Amino acid sequence: MSAVLTVALAMLLVAAALAVWRAVRPGTLGDRAVALDMLTAIITCGLLVGAALTGDGLLLDLAVVLGLLGFLASVTVARFIERRGV
Amino acid sequence: MSLFVNVLTAVFVVVGVALALVAAIGLHRLGDTRARMHAATKPATLGVLCCATGAVLQVDDVSSITKVVVVVVLQVITAPVGAHMLSRAITIDADQAG
Repeated sequence: MSAVLTVALAMLLVAAALAVWRAVRPGTLGDRAVALDMLTAIITCGLLVGAALTGDGLLLDLAVVLGLLGFLASVTVARFIERRGV
Repeated sequence: MSLFVNVLTAVFVVVGVALALVAAIGLHRLGDTRARMHAATKPATLGVLCCATGAVLQVDDVSSITKVVVVVVLQVITAPVGAHMLSRAITIDADQAG
């Protein structure tokens, strides 16, 4: 099982790289916001898989904080786009 | 029993991670910001839910399980709200531009 979880972490790394590339690539502010929103979801998944791999409860604290911060970030960017435009 | 739990963990984690990977590919393949959002918002709920189920099967103390439940509840409440606010802002902005 630990081999499967390690492969899963590698797949998440590929997904995170694709999301970062989407955010860095030329695009609108909305595109970048969507990509970074997805990046926080991918990192949360990675922390949960890491907790499953090691049984370490500390990673779950990080996942809670990241969930709150990701929501705050996407709401802030949404308000910014709404007021000032892309 | 232990083997069964391990196999179940692996299945849930692989499903969640595969969703995230497909969504990341969709972020590049789809042509419109809202179409990309359609791809990107699915792993934010279902992917995290699957990975959390995998994690809950492997940790054994009550505090860790509680934390996983908190993560899932937060994610299920906030991810659709955040995505909705973002898509509304994009739509309003597109209307103003066009």
